[in-house]
Amino acid sequence: MIELNDVSKSYNNGRVKAVDALTLTVRPGEIFGFLGPNGAGKTTTIKLIVGLLRPDAGTIRVDGIDNQKEPVAAKAVTTYVPDTPAIYERLTGLEYLNFIGDVYGVPKADRLRRIEKWLDIFELAGAVSSPIQSYSHGMKQKIVLIAALLPAPRVMVLDEPMVGLDPRSAHHMKEMMRTHCDGGGTLFFSTHIMEVAEKLCDRIGIIHNGRLIAHGTLEELRARDREDQSLEKIFLELTER
Amino acid sequence: MTKFFRLVRVGLRVNFGLSLFRPKHLLENKRDIWLIPLILIGIAGLFPVLLYYLKGIRFMYRLLAPLGQQAALLTFAILMGQFLILVFGFYYVLSAFYFSRDLDLLIPLPVTPVQVLLSKFTVVVVNEYLTASPIVVPMLIAYGIHSRAGFRYWVTAVFVYLLLPVIPLAIVSLLVVGMMRFVNFSRKKDALIIIGSLVLMTGALGLQFWLRRMPDAGPGRQVLIQFFNEGGFVQKIGAKFPPSIWATRALAPETAGSEFVHFLLFAGVSALLFGALFFAARAFFYRGLIGLGEVAARRRRLSRERLSAHISSGHRPIRAIFLRELRIMNRTPIFLLNGVLSVILIPIIFILFAKAGGGKSGSDSYRIILLLASSNSAAVILGSALFMTICGCLNGTASSAFSREGAQFWMSKVIPTPPADQVKAKFLHSFAVAFLGILAAAVVAVAAIQADIVLVLISLPIAMAAAAALTALGMIIDLLRPLLKWTNPQKAIKQNLNVLIAFFAAAGILVGLTIAVTALLKRGIRGELVISGLALFLFVLAGLSFAFLLKIAARRYREIET
Ligand SMILES: Nc1ncnc2c1ncn2[C@@H]1O[C@H](COP(=O)(O)OP(=O)(O)O)[C@@H](O)[C@H]1O
Ligand SMILES: [Mg+2]
Repeated sequence: MIELNDVSKSYNNGRVKAVDALTLTVRPGEIFGFLGPNGAGKTTTIKLIVGLLRPDAGTIRVDGIDNQKEPVAAKAVTTYVPDTPAIYERLTGLEYLNFIGDVYGVPKADRLRRIEKWLDIFELAGAVSSPIQSYSHGMKQKIVLIAALLPAPRVMVLDEPMVGLDPRSAHHMKEMMRTHCDGGGTLFFSTHIMEVAEKLCDRIGIIHNGRLIAHGTLEELRARDREDQSLEKIFLELTER
Repeated sequence: MTKFFRLVRVGLRVNFGLSLFRPKHLLENKRDIWLIPLILIGIAGLFPVLLYYLKGIRFMYRLLAPLGQQAALLTFAILMGQFLILVFGFYYVLSAFYFSRDLDLLIPLPVTPVQVLLSKFTVVVVNEYLTASPIVVPMLIAYGIHSRAGFRYWVTAVFVYLLLPVIPLAIVSLLVVGMMRFVNFSRKKDALIIIGSLVLMTGALGLQFWLRRMPDAGPGRQVLIQFFNEGGFVQKIGAKFPPSIWATRALAPETAGSEFVHFLLFAGVSALLFGALFFAARAFFYRGLIGLGEVAARRRRLSRERLSAHISSGHRPIRAIFLRELRIMNRTPIFLLNGVLSVILIPIIFILFAKAGGGKSGSDSYRIILLLASSNSAAVILGSALFMTICGCLNGTASSAFSREGAQFWMSKVIPTPPADQVKAKFLHSFAVAFLGILAAAVVAVAAIQADIVLVLISLPIAMAAAAALTALGMIIDLLRPLLKWTNPQKAIKQNLNVLIAFFAAAGILVGLTIAVTALLKRGIRGELVISGLALFLFVLAGLSFAFLLKIAARRYREIET
């Protein structure tokens, strides 16, 4: 579960209002797609949820835990995949996964089982003992994704996860998302592509200029779209690629 | 040509623009106000050193002037300056030429390799003006004043100073470009870079060793006779590195008019080496550079058993973070050179210096040897504690502990390890590096200087307490203003202002303590008492600074937004 309550965040001493009074609930077992054009405030919202940024106002709860008051407890149930995979280039893939396993306290048996499984699925088994420095962009993205899956977190937060993945990996990614949520987990991801949100999400939130302008199931949104001019414009912006 | 100047301008701006030369940006963050008094204290701490230096110059000048040998002072300063440039230049050149990430942007641009390399060279030259300035500038000015020099001296001095880094840097650059051309053939690039660097540094040290060894002059009168020989001291000091003699003679000519010849010689050789670099750049630079980032990746599947063996059964988070710090530091060549390697090398360099003086009373290091080998046990303990502390803490490991994470800092913010624990792991790592330096210094003190092993052992806990305090202090400074937006690892450690601030702070503390301890001993207070007092003070200081570091950890991790 993720709850944002009246959350605002601005950059440059208030000159750029990136997120404006955002209120939003993502329920357990739900894939929530956060949809919006470039610069809408998606990354900022995600960074607020995972604790990379501090909100100027409002509260954020992850699995019922206030991420400002009990940051460590909130982090223990959350994992995050950023939009650009800036990871430890000098470690091997396996050293990196072990590091994540250690800091999240994943027992060895689970660790072995999950690492084996995901390395297989994402076809990284051959590269895992080489330094991450030698990985392609897509491989880096996949190893970060595996790292995010390794602790089997209650809440996963992914920033533009489909960008840069080949079709096969993107497919496995979607299956992974579904399995995660069928097990009761919560998944929050951002995208600027309508189609991706359409196929995957239980519910969608649309953000524009830092404000949540609509949310609900796709059908609900479609229905509103026929009445609401501004929503239609954004829909157009999101559909044409 | 305009492209070249544009490259230089961009390079300089990246190098200095955002920090040193624009005070507005230096204090971009209002929280940094506290830095001003600290920097002032640091500068104030160095003031006595400068004063001693100037006094020393005056003393030597008065001693040498009646013999007509005062120009030797210039030779000395120029030579020392050029050696500093040689040693530091190595790091600068290696990282500027081959490890700055902007190279990836520059290669595809319509600029020639020669323009890229020479623009980087120019930026390094400008950097080196700063490196050499503490030794050379006071000397040039003091000499000019003492000798009541005329207009021509001052003009020449400016030009000599401007040309000063060119010869040593061109030599280093040629070696580095040659080395990297060779390194890039191989698959084990990182290892070769480290080995090559060590070879080149040893070479530079060997050179120093050879240069500093004065011909055996024998005692007393014979020495004096030699001084009065033609050229005298100037020749003797500069004999092994003629450019320093030419520069000296351009400033202080032996016969009227000869200064032009010498200046032309100095400038001409600089130009010649610069030209050689021009050709080396064209022939070798890109071939050494392109593909450097590629690593030899074995693509091989691990069997289930192997995979299982490689998956750890779980370390405590502190240990995992410690391991991460260790691995990243030791696998990044620039970090390794500045951390573990420099900590081991500093005591060895010291010994080379000391041995080069051959234990003669003329050598600089002789005084420390005297101290460490003296029969006064209090002096030995204090001296070796100071020596060990300096060797352990004269590196940027602690004061770049957070900056080194750079763009990866987001990971430290999202993992569920309390910041205090993360900071503890980093402290352990920095302290381990310092401890390695302390041990190296202890070995050197006992093995090479024949300091009493028992006394060195007694000084060990004092040095460790001092190192713990300085490590925590360095980390506090870096945690308060981490430099996370770098593209060139050199920026995170060698050109990180935090490292400089921590260095000043450490120097200030050590100088202050040395003055205090000396004053107490002079007052006739017993050595045991002074030592116990010092140890107690350092333990308390270490405890307090460590506690403060942990106290600010959680707050700072929350405040640093990435
Ligand atoms: N570090 C930053 N400093 C200043 N402005 C920023 C920063 N990051 C994002 N912004 C601004 O905040 C707004 C939202 O950005 P972001 O959350 O990255 O959008 P999205 O991820 O939806 O493309 C944009 O106007 C962007 O320019
Ligand atoms: Mg974004």
